Amino acid sequence: MDFKRFLKGLQGIVGEQNVVYHSDDLLVFEYDGSVDRGTPEAVVFPSSTQEVSRVIALAHSEGVPVVGRGTGTGLSGGAIAPPGGIQVAFPRMNHILDIDTENRLALVEPGVINLDLDTHVRKLGLRYAPDPSSQKACSLGGNIAENAGGPHCLAYGTTTNHVLGMEVVLENGMVVNLGSLARETVGYDLRGVFTGSEGTFGIATKIAVRLLPVPEAVRTFLGIFPDVESACTAVSAVIEHGIVPAALEMIDALTIEAVQKVSDAGYPDDAGAVLLIELEGLQDEVDEISGEVEAALWETGATQVRTAEAEEERELLWVGRKGALGALGSIAPNYFLVDGVVPRTQLAQVLARVAEVSRKYDIPIANVFHAGDGNLHPCLLFDERQPGALDKIVEAGTEVLQVCVDAGGTLTGEHGVGLEKKEQMPLVFSEDDMAVMVMVRDAFAPDNSLNPGKIFPDGKKHKPHAHPAHSGMPA
Amino acid sequence: MEPTLRDQLARILGGSTVLPGHGHEIDGITPQAVVRPVDRLQVSEVLRWASSENVSLLPRGGGTRTGLGNVPRKADVVLDLGDLDKLVDYQPADMTAIVEAGMTLTSLQEQLALGGEFVPLEAGIPGRSTVGGILSVGSGGPLSYAYGLPREWLIGIGVITPQGVATKAGGNVVKNVTGYDLNKLYAGSLGTLGVIVEASFKLLPINPHDGTLLASFPSQADSIAACRKLLHSPAAPMGCHSVTSGVSRRLQDSLQAASQGLGLGEEETSLSFAFYSGRARATGRRLEEAAALLLAEGATAVQRVEGLAAKSMLRWVTDIPSEASNSSALVIKISVQSRSAARASAECGDVLLFGEKPEQMADPGFGSIRLFWPEQSESPARGVDADQPVLDAVQKTRQIAHRYEGSAVVEQCPLPVKRQIDVWGDPPDSLAIMQSIKNQFDPRGILNPGRFLGGI
Repeated sequence: MDFKRFLKGLQGIVGEQNVVYHSDDLLVFEYDGSVDRGTPEAVVFPSSTQEVSRVIALAHSEGVPVVGRGTGTGLSGGAIAPPGGIQVAFPRMNHILDIDTENRLALVEPGVINLDLDTHVRKLGLRYAPDPSSQKACSLGGNIAENAGGPHCLAYGTTTNHVLGMEVVLENGMVVNLGSLARETVGYDLRGVFTGSEGTFGIATKIAVRLLPVPEAVRTFLGIFPDVESACTAVSAVIEHGIVPAALEMIDALTIEAVQKVSDAGYPDDAGAVLLIELEGLQDEVDEISGEVEAALWETGATQVRTAEAEEERELLWVGRKGALGALGSIAPNYFLVDGVVPRTQLAQVLARVAEVSRKYDIPIANVFHAGDGNLHPCLLFDERQPGALDKIVEAGTEVLQVCVDAGGTLTGEHGVGLEKKEQMPLVFSEDDMAVMVMVRDAFAPDNSLNPGKIFPDGKKHKPHAHPAHSGMPA
Repeated sequence: MEPTLRDQLARILGGSTVLPGHGHEIDGITPQAVVRPVDRLQVSEVLRWASSENVSLLPRGGGTRTGLGNVPRKADVVLDLGDLDKLVDYQPADMTAIVEAGMTLTSLQEQLALGGEFVPLEAGIPGRSTVGGILSVGSGGPLSYAYGLPREWLIGIGVITPQGVATKAGGNVVKNVTGYDLNKLYAGSLGTLGVIVEASFKLLPINPHDGTLLASFPSQADSIAACRKLLHSPAAPMGCHSVTSGVSRRLQDSLQAASQGLGLGEEETSLSFAFYSGRARATGRRLEEAAALLLAEGATAVQRVEGLAAKSMLRWVTDIPSEASNSSALVIKISVQSRSAARASAECGDVLLFGEKPEQMADPGFGSIRLFWPEQSESPARGVDADQPVLDAVQKTRQIAHRYEGSAVVEQCPLPVKRQIDVWGDPPDSLAIMQSIKNQFDPRGILNPGRFLGGI
């Protein structure tokens, strides 16, 4: 392929200023939020579906792989370009096209930032429920690719439960619509299987999402516990009351230590775990359930319980949780974040085994996680400058995933498989299971030219690079 | 002489699991055999055999929706999954359960109730409807507005491929992005891609209190408009339904106790149901506010039922589609954007068949409307084409659904009409991908051939 001619072709479609290809300019596109790295040959910024279609068709005809890139906050290497590939990014396709309050849906372009949509519709008494912790920076196109989660997915489900329909561009440049603006459609649920396909089926260029009414009342509880075990018991106690909180989050002692170093979250020095619970609903329902939650926290050994209902006060309770990953920079230069999920009842045992892995490898592990849905986020802390540190981390991380799988869980709850966990897929799925998945990909993208080399094991060990903890995107 | 399919199956699985196909007609075709495997291994064996012999299989759960779908191209053997009916694992504290596909919804809910939980699946005739069948159809019920479709609750699935290979996707955790989300693909695929043998679900706690409002309105349009108002108010229910007088009259016997004084039976009366569930105090407050709102919106009477009576009411409404279909010549379900429900309902009300308007069951929140045209009161005169009027009604209804960016599925119609149409309507522009998926999964086309959209 004549790369110069190819570049000219791209420039002809989107305009010269909307193609980046100088190596200096490409540096910022090497990364996402994970440990992987890969330099694209070029990055293209289209402004319309038609341009996306033409770019992808051109790349396809030249045999160049294409990766859609949201804002690069992903945590599994999903947006990393394969060798010789280009990225299509969406800073110019960032418009909210329509808000339909009667139907409670929004039609957006893929570059719209998650929080921007939520903030926009809140003025109308509505909300966009999925709230990945990177929601200030991450885009809805990326959310679709990864089926993003977030703390409030416990009650409202993940991205897939909120996407109604989308317009997507296939690898040959063809534009098709999946799903519809109606809640029920005929045929296979292609919109459902597309969501979370990590950019391997196509690139979404228009997205219709459901909006929910803002709840009448919100109340947040913060419980301080002497250790993770008692905090886990509190989680079970709340659930046993038939309560499904909007969010149920936990941080452990090491994370608390880090948080205390950088911010004033006001945790006592001997705190072994902090549990955050948020209730949403009708005022009298929240009032009624609050008593039960508070009682459950005290009964399971909380040494302190704080509650807040006003938004500003609630924000204060969330400070420690939201700043947790960033705070880890105060105790180690780098971290490797694992996204395993286990059945909720296994949390305490799994955390104990994670602690064993920590001792075995002599790696400090800080835990920040979505306790309500059993989604762990063990952060393996290290210093990449120490020789061999990264290899050891990857080995320990794999062992943590094995612990999760042994407990009846799986590899990733919300970050995706990407490059990072593809070689671990056989821990969960057989060759036959994966062969069926590949058949679906073959139906969408028979030439496998969109985001190739992700999700499925191919024996090509990816070369992880250290991720500086201080710049870490919250998970 | 060639051994019959029945003989071949009996040789593979043993005689007791193979029965004659009589009495299991599907769209006028009598299958040669019904096979009822006792476990998954047998399901695999049947599929392997069918694949190698090019025998078409029609998977069957409780048989409550076998009329759904196009006339099959071939219907050799019915694969009855009723013996795969075990609860595999249920941990109440995890709020998840793994269940075999042949378990009925009623027995699953009974088991889960022991742990204080339920799975938000809805189906008519739940004592016969099976988990696998409900997933394959993929539709919801009266609470779809709150709970969505079965796809939202399915977290893991075990499927035997058409080649007989046991595969899985998802898992038994409530949040999972490991590999492609094939749960979504299988839910609503009408058994055309593989045979579902096991499913994992995310569960919810049973609410302590249920309440239902019934409100009568002078017209279906008034009823839908009031429901829309209610859905957008702070007293929003978990689901609303507006049914026309013919439907409510049919239910009158069962509703009588609860609905006295509603003025049912008058001409042009429509009845709204609004379903609530939650903590007692909050639910009570919402019921009160909602009743006031419905009266202000023109309800001629509002009645409130709570507790078990409210649960029964929900049960009756869930069963309406199956009940009302019994005496209907034509049943169409349209799905549109919810804001268009009122207009679509009004326009569909003017589509006459044999001079009669359709009875309606509308969900103004979810945006679906079921239309039931009664059977022709007198048998048509000789030589009169009885099919053309039905085809015309289908055509007109489809045009209305398309006008509101929706779809129209013919759920029931006379067989001669069914042979002439695709009951799923015009295929979407993604049909080629769907066909390609089908070809990848089932290249020989042995599973439910021809029954799905676009001849899949």
